[in-house]
Amino acid sequence: MCNWCSYAGADKAGTAQLRVPHNLSAIRVMCTGRVDPQFVLKAFREGADGVVILGCHLGDCHYKEQNYRALQRHRILLAMLRQLGIEEERCRLDFVSAAEGEGFARLVTGMVEAIKTLGPLDLPVHSHGLDQKI
Amino acid sequence: MRVGVYFCLCGPNIAEKIDSEAVRQAAERLPGFGYCRTVEFLCSAAGKSAMEKDVRENRPDRVVVAACSPRDHEETFRGVLARAGMNPFLMQMVNVREHIAWVTADREKATEKAIRHIGAAMRRVVLHEPLERREIDVCTDVLIVGAGPAGLKAALNFAEAGRKVCLVEKEPVLGGLPARYEAMFPDMECGPCVLETVLGDVLHGPHAERIEILTLSSMEDVVGYYGNYTVTIRQSPRYISPDLCIACGECIPVCPAVSGNPFNYDRNDKKAVDYAFQGGLPNLPFIDAEICLRTTRNEDCRLCREACLVEGAVVYEDSGKKVTRQVGAILIATGAGLYDCSRLPNLGYGRLPDVFTSLEFERILAANGPTGGAIRKADGNPPKRIAIVHCVGSLDARHKEYCSGICCETAFKFNRLVAHKLPGAEVTHFYKTFSVSGKRGYKLFGEAGARASTRFVRYDDIDRLDIRSDGSGGHHVVLNAPTAAPSVTESDMVVLCPALVPSEGTARMARMLEAATDRFGFLEELHGRMDSVRSKVRGIYMAGTCQAPMDTQKAVEQGLAASGAILAGLVPGRKLVIEPVTAVVDQERCSACRSCIPVCPYKAISFDSGKDSAVVNSVLCVGCGTCVSTCPSGAIKGNHFTDEQVFAEIEGVLS
Ligand SMILES: Cc1cc2nc3c(=O)[nH]c(=O)nc-3n(C[C@H](O)[C@H](O)[C@H](O)COP(=O)(O)OP(=O)(O)OC[C@H]3O[C@@H](n4cnc5c(N)ncnc54)[C@H](O)[C@@H]3O)c2cc1C
Ligand code: FES
Repeated sequence: MCNWCSYAGADKAGTAQLRVPHNLSAIRVMCTGRVDPQFVLKAFREGADGVVILGCHLGDCHYKEQNYRALQRHRILLAMLRQLGIEEERCRLDFVSAAEGEGFARLVTGMVEAIKTLGPLDLPVHSHGLDQKI
Repeated sequence: MRVGVYFCLCGPNIAEKIDSEAVRQAAERLPGFGYCRTVEFLCSAAGKSAMEKDVRENRPDRVVVAACSPRDHEETFRGVLARAGMNPFLMQMVNVREHIAWVTADREKATEKAIRHIGAAMRRVVLHEPLERREIDVCTDVLIVGAGPAGLKAALNFAEAGRKVCLVEKEPVLGGLPARYEAMFPDMECGPCVLETVLGDVLHGPHAERIEILTLSSMEDVVGYYGNYTVTIRQSPRYISPDLCIACGECIPVCPAVSGNPFNYDRNDKKAVDYAFQGGLPNLPFIDAEICLRTTRNEDCRLCREACLVEGAVVYEDSGKKVTRQVGAILIATGAGLYDCSRLPNLGYGRLPDVFTSLEFERILAANGPTGGAIRKADGNPPKRIAIVHCVGSLDARHKEYCSGICCETAFKFNRLVAHKLPGAEVTHFYKTFSVSGKRGYKLFGEAGARASTRFVRYDDIDRLDIRSDGSGGHHVVLNAPTAAPSVTESDMVVLCPALVPSEGTARMARMLEAATDRFGFLEELHGRMDSVRSKVRGIYMAGTCQAPMDTQKAVEQGLAASGAILAGLVPGRKLVIEPVTAVVDQERCSACRSCIPVCPYKAISFDSGKDSAVVNSVLCVGCGTCVSTCPSGAIKGNHFTDEQVFAEIEGVLS
C-alpha cells in the first residue's frame, strides 16, 4: 500500500470507523512503484491467501506515474502466478484515493470474501523458495 | 538488541478495543523485547516528554511506537527520539488506531491483530539503520529565462528580497508579448505602459543593481542540481555598446541594408542597425547580423560608425560572450506562441491578402507598429468590414482541445480599438463559444455587444468556415450549415485568434533541463492545483504561459508565486536538508545496465562512466523506491524500505 492516497484512504476508513477484515494486514511502502514482485511472492510463501496492491488512482501517483509501472509489473506477475497455480483473484492491483475510505473498506472486504470462496491457498511444495530464486 | 515498545491507549480510542495487557505479555515473549510502556496519550506534551526521558534513561537499541497512523505522528515521535539522543530512524510505528482499533468490531480479534503487527514491527525495526539527514550549502542566486511579464515580475521580487538575479532574454528587447500591444484587456492601458510599472524598476529601480540583464542571450548548458547549478549562457553580439550608446538614432538613416522586420511580422522593413520597434526597452538599437552587409557580404561598410555621435559606441569587433553563472534555482518563463493557422487551409491564412493572426493584428493596431497604428488593407485603403474568428484551433480534438481563455477578450479588445480607429466599420465575431470569466472579463464583451456595428455569428465546426476571395480584393466568409443554405459574410479583413501553444523556447528549455511537458507541450506542474509553479525536477520552476495559456495578470501572479517558492526554499545562511530516505546504489553490484535511469521521474539517477555505475543524486531523489524494484541486479537499496525490512514485516504480520 503506497504511503499517499491509498494509505490515507485506509486511514479514512479508520476515522469513519468502518469495518475492515481483521485478517487484512497493511504493509506500507512509499509508492506502488516500490512493490517488488518478490514482496508478493514472499507474502504467498509466508501463508497469505491473497495479496492486494493498492496505489493512488492512475494519474494521481505522488511520484508521477509509478503506478502505471506497478500496473505493468502486476500483469507480468499474474502470468507468473498462473504458472505456480495461484489464481489471479488472489493477487489484485487496485486504486484508492485519500477520500475513498468507504471504497477501501468495500474493496478489501470484497476481496476477502472472494478469497474465502476460493479457500486457503495450497501452494505446491516445489514452489516454496521460488521467490528467492527470482 | 533491545526493542522498547511504546503502546499508546489514545484515551479510550485504543484502550477500549485492544487488551493492552495481553499485547504486553505477547510482546515480552518476542525476540529482542526490551520493555513495554503503556501510555495514555503518547502524543500529548506530557506523553512526549515522558517518552523522551524514558528513552534517554533506558537507552533502547530500537523503538516501536504502537499508536495512530504514521501519517499523523511519525515525525512527532522521530522528533522525540532525536531529542532523547537517539537516531530517529531507528523507530517503526504500528498503526493500531486507524488500521485495527477503529475498524475491528471484535476485541479479541483486534488484540490478536495488534500483537501480530507489533511483532512485525519488532522484526522490522531491528533491521533499521541509523540514517542521517545531511546538510549542504546552497547558492541563493537565481536564473530566470524569459523576460516577459512573468519573468520580469519574478526578477524584481528577487531583487527586492536582496537576491541576485540573472535574467536571460533571447530578444534584444524586454517585456515579452505585451510590449507589442497597443492596449491590454480589460482596462485598455497600453502594453508598454502596463509593463513600465515593472520594467522601469527592473532597469533603473532601487534594486536594479542586483538584476543582471542579458538580452540576445540563450542558455547553452546546465550542470548541477537544486541549490548548486552552473549555467552557461551565450550572448550574441549587439555591436552597440549599452554603456556608450545615447540612443540618438543617427546611425539608422545612413544604414544601407534593409530587410523585413520580424518584430512586426515582416509587415514593414527595418535597417540592419535599428530598434526592434520604437519604445522597446532597453532603449538601444542593435545590429542584426543577418542583414548587415559586413556580416552577410563581408563588405567593409562603416556608415553607422561614422554617423555615430559617440566615439566607440558602435563595436564591429563585438563577438558576443559566453558567461557562466552559479545559481540555486532556475525559473523558466519562456512564454507561448500561436497555433499555426496554415493547418487550417480553409481560413486562407498565408494565401489570401489581409488575413492576419491576432499577434499580427496587434502590431497593425500599435502606434509603434508597421503602419503607425493605422488599419490598412494591402491596397492602402481602410477596411469597412472586419471579420474576427475566435477559437481557431481551440476546443477541437483535431487541433488543440483546450480553450486558451484569452482569445475572446483579445477579440473584444480588437473590437473596441477598431471602433475607435475606424468609426462605423462593421465587426463580425465568428465564435464557437465565449469565455469571458473573472470579475473584469465581461467588460469589453458587454461593450462590443452594445455597439451597433458588431455582429455575432456562431459556428460549431471550424471546417464549415470557408474564407475565399471575393474577386475584388475582399473576402467572403462562408459558413456552411449542414441543413440550411450557406451564409456569406462580406469582409475586407480577417483576424484569426488561434490557440496559445508553447513557444519554441519552452520546448528547448524543457529538453535542456529535463523538465517534463504535458501532452500539449506546456511545462508540467508538480501538482496541477497545489503546486503549479514547481516542475517535477526539484530546483526548476516555471511561470507564465510556458505552463499553460493565461492572461498577463495570472502570468505575473505566477512570477510572484514562483519567486516566493524559491525564496522560501533557498535562504541565505540556511543549509539544504537532505532527507536520508533515498535510494543508494551499491557500485560493486551495479551491472551498468542503466534500467534505473529512465524510470526515475526526478532525473535523480545518472551514469558515472568513471565508476561504471549508476549514481543517485540524493538532493533530487525523493525516495519513491521505483528504481529499487527495477534494478535487476539488486544493486539499489531503498533506505528505510529495504527488501530485508519489508520481508521481515511481511513475515511478522503473517506469523
Ligand atoms: C494576441 C494576443 C493578445 C493578448 N492580449 C492580452 C491582453 O490584452 N491582456 C492580457 O492580460 N493578456 C493578453 N494576452 C496574453 C499575454 O500575452 C500573456 O499572458 C503574457 O504574454 C504571458 O507572459 P509570459 O511572461 O508568460 O510570456 P511572454 O510574454 O510570451 O514572454 C516570454 C519571454 O521569454 C522569451 N523567451 C522565449 N524563449 C526563450 C529562450 N529560450 N531563452 C530566452 N528567452 C526566451 C521571449 O522572447 C519573451 O520575451 C494576449 C495574448 C495574445 C496572443
Ligand atoms: S504514491 Fe501512490 S501509487 Fe505512487
